[in-house]
Amino acid sequence: APSLPTTSKMAASVREKQTVALKRMLNFNAPPLKNTAAEPVWKVLIYDRFGQDIISPLLSVKELRDMGITLHLLLHSDRDPIPDVPAIYFVMPTEENIDRICQDLRNQLYESYYLNFISAISRSKLEDIASAALAANAVSQVTKVFDQYLNFITLEDDMFILCHQNKELISYHAINRPDIQDTDMDAIMDTIVDSLFCFFVTLGAVPIIRCPRGNAAEMVAVKLDKKLRENLRDARNSLFTGDSMAAGQFSFQRPLFVLADRNVDMATPLHHTWTYQALIHDVLDFHLNRVMMEEGAGAEPSPAGARPKKKSRKTYDLTAADKFWQKHKGSPFPEVAESVQEELDTYRAQEDEVKRLKSIMGLEGEDEGAISMLSDNTAKLTSAVSSLPELLEKKRLIDLHTNVATAVLDHIKSRKLDVYFEYEEKLMSKSTLDKSLLDIISDPDAGTPEDKMRLFLIYYITTQQAPTESDLEQYKKALLDAGCDLSPLTYIKQWKAFTKMASTPANYGNSGVKPMGLFSRVMNTGSQFVMEGVKNLVLKQHNLPVTRILDNLMEMKSHPETDDYRYFDPKMLRGSESSIPRNKNPFQEAIVFVVGGGNYIEYQNLVDYTKSKQGKKVVYGCSELFNSAQFIKQVRAADCSDMMLL
Amino acid sequence: MAVDRTLLFKASVKTVKTRNKAIGIGFDSTKDEIFKRTRPKSGFSPKAKEVITNITKLKDFLLQHRKDYVSAGSLISSDLTRMTDSERDQIDQDAQIFMRTCSEAIKQLRNEAEKKVTSSQIKEHRGAVLDLIEMYLKGVCKLYSEQRAIRVKRMVDKKRLYVPVKITFYFEQENQRLVSEMNSLVDEVRQIEGKVVEISRLQEIFAEKVLQQETEIDSIHQLVVGATENVKEGNEDIREAIKNNAGFRVWILFFLVMCSFSLLFLDWYDS
Repeated sequence: APSLPTTSKMAASVREKQTVALKRMLNFNAPPLKNTAAEPVWKVLIYDRFGQDIISPLLSVKELRDMGITLHLLLHSDRDPIPDVPAIYFVMPTEENIDRICQDLRNQLYESYYLNFISAISRSKLEDIASAALAANAVSQVTKVFDQYLNFITLEDDMFILCHQNKELISYHAINRPDIQDTDMDAIMDTIVDSLFCFFVTLGAVPIIRCPRGNAAEMVAVKLDKKLRENLRDARNSLFTGDSMAAGQFSFQRPLFVLADRNVDMATPLHHTWTYQALIHDVLDFHLNRVMMEEGAGAEPSPAGARPKKKSRKTYDLTAADKFWQKHKGSPFPEVAESVQEELDTYRAQEDEVKRLKSIMGLEGEDEGAISMLSDNTAKLTSAVSSLPELLEKKRLIDLHTNVATAVLDHIKSRKLDVYFEYEEKLMSKSTLDKSLLDIISDPDAGTPEDKMRLFLIYYITTQQAPTESDLEQYKKALLDAGCDLSPLTYIKQWKAFTKMASTPANYGNSGVKPMGLFSRVMNTGSQFVMEGVKNLVLKQHNLPVTRILDNLMEMKSHPETDDYRYFDPKMLRGSESSIPRNKNPFQEAIVFVVGGGNYIEYQNLVDYTKSKQGKKVVYGCSELFNSAQFIKQVRAADCSDMMLL
Repeated sequence: MAVDRTLLFKASVKTVKTRNKAIGIGFDSTKDEIFKRTRPKSGFSPKAKEVITNITKLKDFLLQHRKDYVSAGSLISSDLTRMTDSERDQIDQDAQIFMRTCSEAIKQLRNEAEKKVTSSQIKEHRGAVLDLIEMYLKGVCKLYSEQRAIRVKRMVDKKRLYVPVKITFYFEQENQRLVSEMNSLVDEVRQIEGKVVEISRLQEIFAEKVLQQETEIDSIHQLVVGATENVKEGNEDIREAIKNNAGFRVWILFFLVMCSFSLLFLDWYDS
C-alpha cells in the first residue's frame, strides 16, 4: 500500500523508475525479492540495439551478472541453442525483430521465452508470433509477453533522450529539411510521441502540456494530447490508473510538460562551454554516459628514435555511483581540476594510513598469541582490509577523471577554448567586446576552423543589427582563409530572416563572465593540471531561452514570448484546448522537451536554474543529443530555400 | 508501467488455431514431439540444479540451528534448548565437509563443462552459471563463518575467565617472584642509569671548562714567552746602559780630573 502522500517532490526519479522496471523485467516480470541469500536462477538476455541503449546507462554488466544473466546477446546475431535456459527478450516490435523471434521459436533455441516489447506490440504482430509458436509446437514455452513502455533512454536522474540508434530518422535535419513530405513528418511525429507516451507511462503521471504555435513542437503536443486522452478514456486498458499512480505519485499536483522547438534557440547548440560534462560532450567522444578516448594521445612527442606509442582505445563509464562525477559534472572546469587534485591528496593520505596499519600488524603479530587476535588489532585490520576495495575503487575513479580531465585540458589549451567561451558569453549577453571578431577569426593559433565558424554563427545569430554587406564579405573572406566551410551560414541566414519575421529575437539574458585572474593561476600551479595561460572564468547565472520559457510557464508569469502558448490538459472532459490556463498556481514539477535536439549546455542551465528554486524539480529531455560538430553537420545539410516552420 | 499481454497472446494462439483449422492446416504434433526428444539433453543443467539444492539444504540446516548454536547458554534457560559443545562441533564438522563437497562438485562441473562444449556461447553461459553457484555457496559459507566466529569468541572469553585455579596460583606465585626480581633489577639499573647520566653530564661540563681554559692557557703561554723575550732584551739593554753609563762616568771623571789638574796647573803657572 502506498505510504502517506507528501506535497513535495515525486518519490523516485524517472531513472529510478526505469531501472526498477528493468530489474522487474529481468526477474521474470516479478518484483525482485529482498532476500539476498536466495537461490540463483540463471537466464539469458536477448536485446536489439534499442534495448541495449536503454539498459546500458542504467545497469552495468556486473549488475546483470548478479541478477543471474549469464549471457547478453544481440537479437540479430548468431546465437547457439542453449536448450536448458530461459530467455528474456527486450526488443522493439518491428517486423524484422518479430521475424527473428519466430525463427528462434522454430529453432527451439531456449527452454522458455519471456517476450518484452519496448513499446506496445500490435495485435497482428502478436498473431504472427502466435502462429510461429503453434507451428513450432512451442506455445507452452512462451511463458510471458509484456509491453514495457520503456521506449526512451534515461541518462541522468533528470535527463532523458529518445533514442541513440537511428537517431537520424528524427534528427533536427530530418524535421527541418525543405523536401519533407507530410507522410514523413507524420511518421517522425508518431515516433516521438510514442517515446513521450512511454515516458509518461513510466513516470505514472498525466501532465499539463504547453507548446508554442506554428512548429514541430505544436504537432508533437497535439498528437501526444490525443494519445493520452485516448488512453485515459479507455477505462479497461488505461495505463494511468491504479498501481501506476499509487506507486509513483505522491504529489498532489500534476507536472508541467513544456515542448520547445530547437529553432527557438540556435546559438546554444553552437556555444562553447566551460562546465565539465558539457565540455566532455563537446570535445571528446561521449554518448550514453560513456567516454571513448585514445590512450597515449598526449601532447608530448615521443623521444626521437623511439617507436611511436601504440594508441589504444579506452572507454570510461561515467555512472551514478561515481560520487566525484555526480558532484562535479556541472562545475566549471578549473574547479574540477582542483578537486581531482584534492581527491588525489586525500587518497594518498588514506593509502599511507593503510600502509601504516599493515606495518604495525607486521611487527606486533609475532609477539601476541591467538588470544589477542580477537582484540582491537583485528578490528583495525578488518576495517583496513574491508576499506581496501573502497580505496581501490576511489583510485580507479581518480585515475579515470585525471585522464579525462587531462584530455579535455589539452583541447582547451590547444584550441584556446576559454577565449571562445568568454567571447561568446559576451556576444550572447550583449556586453562590450574587448577584441574584434575579425581578430579572433584571423588568429591562426586560436581554435580549429570549426570553432571559428561556431563563433561567427553565434555572432550572426545574436547580433541586433545585421552586418553590412562589406563587413559580411570581410568576415567571409577571413573565415575562408582560416579554412572554414561556409555552408552552414546560408541556413542560419534564412533561419534568422524567418525568426525575425515570426517573433522577437531570442534574448540571452544578462550573463557575465568574470575572469578570476592571477590568484587562481598561482593556486593551480601546484597541481597536476597546470592551467597556465588558461583563464579561470567564473560563470554568472543567466537563463538561456529554453530556461526562460520554462520559468515563465512554471511560475505563471506573463511574457510576450509565452503568452500565446497553447494549453492541453488530457484529463479534461471537453475540448482539447483553451488558451486560458485553468491552473493558477505555480508548478512544482516540470518536464522540458526540445523537439529537434538538445545538448548538455541547455541541460546544465536548467539544472542551475532548478538549484536556485527551492523544492522544484525539472527534467530535461530532447529528441536527440548532439554536440556542436554534429549539429553543424546537420545544419550544413539542411540548406533550404523554404524553411520548414509551418 | 509494464502491461501483461500474456493472456492476449494466448487468445491470439486460439484465434490462429481456429483460423488454421478453418483453412485446413494442421500440424503434425507427434513428429515434433519426437524431434524434441531426440535433441541431446545435456546433463549440465540438472547437475547444476542439484548442487544448488544441496547448498540450499545446508543453508536451511544452518539457519534452523542458528539460534541454538549462537545462544550463550545462560543458567536460566532450560537444558533442553541448550546445545552442547560437542553438538556444536558436530555441526561445524558437518558443515565444513558439506561445503567442501559442494566446492568439489562445482570444480568438477567446471572441468566437465570445459571439455565437452564446443560453442563459445554455451561455454560462457556455463561459466557464468558456475560463478553464480559459487557466489551462492560463498554467501552460505559466510553464514557459517559468522556464527562460528561468534562461537570462537565466546570460547576464548570463557577460557580467560574459568581457567583452573591451582595452576594459576602456582604460575601466579612464580610470576610474582619474577616480577619483583625484575622490578628490583629494573630499579638498580635505573639508578645506575641516572648516575651515569649525571657523570656524563659533569664530564661534559668539565670538558667544556677545560677547553675554555685551554685557550686561556695558550694565550697566557704566548704572553709569557713574549714577556721572557722582552725581559731578556731588557736585560741586554740595561747592561748596555750600565756599560754606557759606566763609560760615561769614567769620561766625566777623567774630564773632571783633567779640569782640576788644569786648574792646578794654571794655578801653579800663575804663581
